[in-house]
Amino acid sequence: MNTTPLQKRARVLTAAAGLAFGFFLPAASAQQQAPNPHAGHKPEAGRKTAPAAVRALPPLPDNLPGWMRNKQANHIFYKRGPYNHDIYNIRPLAYDLNAVAVGHSMAYEDLVTGKADRLETATYTRINQVLKNPPKLMPDERMISPTFARRYGVLEQVFDWTHILHAQTVDVLASTKLTQKEKDAEIERLWAFYFESVPYAITPLPMNMAYLDSQPYSGAFRKKYPKVNGLFWGYHWLQGAMYDMLYNKTLAQQRAAYAVVGEQYRKTELYKTTRPFMPMFAEVSPTFSAKFPHIANAFDNLHMLHDMVNDILASDWMTERQKDEQIQRALYLVSAHAHPDEKPGQGKAASGLHDHRHLSGMPGMGMMKGATTEVMYMPEMGWMRMDDCHHCSMPLVGSKPGFRPAQVSADGWTMRVRCALCARDMSAETKGQAILDLPTEDPARSVVLISDDQGNLTLAGEPMPGLVFLEDEGSHAHCDAWSQAFTSRAAFDAYVKANPKYADTKPLTLAEWSERAGKKPDTYVKPQGPVENPYADKTAKKGAVKR
Amino acid sequence: MNRTSFVSRRRMLAGSLAAFVSLGMSSFLAGRPAQAHEAKCPYCKLDVVQDTPTMDNEVALRYGRKRIEYRCVYCALAEAKSAFKGDLSILAPSEIKGKPVVITRKNGNWSAPSGTVFVGEKANHRHCQTTYRAFTSKAAFQAHVQKNKALLKNAKPLTLAQIVEIAK
Repeated sequence: MNTTPLQKRARVLTAAAGLAFGFFLPAASAQQQAPNPHAGHKPEAGRKTAPAAVRALPPLPDNLPGWMRNKQANHIFYKRGPYNHDIYNIRPLAYDLNAVAVGHSMAYEDLVTGKADRLETATYTRINQVLKNPPKLMPDERMISPTFARRYGVLEQVFDWTHILHAQTVDVLASTKLTQKEKDAEIERLWAFYFESVPYAITPLPMNMAYLDSQPYSGAFRKKYPKVNGLFWGYHWLQGAMYDMLYNKTLAQQRAAYAVVGEQYRKTELYKTTRPFMPMFAEVSPTFSAKFPHIANAFDNLHMLHDMVNDILASDWMTERQKDEQIQRALYLVSAHAHPDEKPGQGKAASGLHDHRHLSGMPGMGMMKGATTEVMYMPEMGWMRMDDCHHCSMPLVGSKPGFRPAQVSADGWTMRVRCALCARDMSAETKGQAILDLPTEDPARSVVLISDDQGNLTLAGEPMPGLVFLEDEGSHAHCDAWSQAFTSRAAFDAYVKANPKYADTKPLTLAEWSERAGKKPDTYVKPQGPVENPYADKTAKKGAVKR
Repeated sequence: MNRTSFVSRRRMLAGSLAAFVSLGMSSFLAGRPAQAHEAKCPYCKLDVVQDTPTMDNEVALRYGRKRIEYRCVYCALAEAKSAFKGDLSILAPSEIKGKPVVITRKNGNWSAPSGTVFVGEKANHRHCQTTYRAFTSKAAFQAHVQKNKALLKNAKPLTLAQIVEIAK
């Protein structure tokens, strides 16, 4: 994406917004040149080794934009569209999202009103009560956290504005009025609306998460308030996972999928306190992240901003003034304003960890702790390559034209795999329920299967009477050719006619196909990382076997 | 050279070699397809130790059509008790390659082939492949203890009921 004209436009809009809302924007600030995006970045500066009293804090960049000092209310509402609030088509998801907004706000308000000491007890109980009894309508977060909103006005607006992007993009995906192609186009328009309407959009660049999480205050919140932090990361899990759950599916398929995902969220993800890092968007919605990397990155950066603000507020060794400054700096670091002319994929060797490289095959994923551009570490899964099938290790990109990977969601993760067999067998090797999302010969139609906890597969959504499978198991070098789902016998026959080597292969019904189990893929290679576990220091105690 | 085509060729070569090797292994693995992706043990979160040409290490829990791998028999039993309801079976590697001890739970009752004994010694879980194992006989148990004196000097053979009891 070319950010330069957008930035120029954003500056013009800043001036216009200043007039409209009565902001005071000093002329010098309005006309300032793009600041050095790396001013004040000192990777690892004053990290945990220093005693609390003398911990050095990175300075504020000296040329912050004027809008960062704004503390006035500045509500901007949704872009108009026939899809708005269609998330209520999947009512349980809409309600869960409403509760997320309450949970965030309650925690922030207590943190800044001298009630931090009860965050893990009374506040947690109050939030949990809301999560279990979610509101029917989306609350205005500013009304629940008025003190926080007054004190950190522009920060609250950044959160709110990006949450509107969240809300509208899922409304589009839940719409029954648009085709998937129309949805894709509208999502891009929503991005443009988000990015160009205000000066304080979050950067769409893949930010280096290891860098952002290595500030002098990093980790304070999760250490001090593990239960509430678990809730926050549970919200972020849902806010990421819902995208692939909704993508290219009918409403009936979406509802069936949320029955599984919602249960995972409410029973497990909200209450996990063993995560060493927040859930990343591409870990839970790889298809959407690959298609809309700029949006996935912006959401990850927003969630990281949440974590940085939490850590700052939980760092008692800072003065109130220092907290305010560090929050401004955190906001600046992830703002689009700080990264003019920078491109995804570019490294910044001179600036330490602050770079915008991404995982190979996944432009919607910034660099993680210990990662290389080839591999990254996923807790409870180990080292992974985002551009390979997680079952057979064959590449997901660069296959035949029109190739679409299948996908498996289970146990809190979502993985792209190369063929229907890979999806089925991977789900059978994973504890609990699973969702299999299988492409068909029709790009607009996917087969969605739900696996129960014993591995029995059922079709989700509308009946598909013609559904048949091809499975002529051979080397996984070609599994995308010999393992496929078809919406009709006619489509199967057409494929076999075009690929005579499968002429003797019989079409399988779902029941017949479900009974099968493939061999261990001949192509599987376990990905290796530079170290055994880059989060070993954080998980050693939590992951220990209780014995 | 195009990176993708290079990667594909590399994978295909690896695949061909693996396929060649796997032909020779197929008799060992018949009826017990190994798990593909090598994930962490769902219970202890450590790597599942893979089978070697001479010794099986992967413990598999079968629950309906699911086949979940664990690092050791202790982990599988502990999860069976806490996370799975109903009938299931656990394939615990024994001292004989390709011949796991099949432990079953049916209607809440645990059973294993007669003569089965277990070693179950508390140690750092990195060593669980040695300290929690199934054997087809007491003689095999004693041979294992003899071979691993440092970790198992006080080990006594356990019955199925005893190891089920301690796994939690």
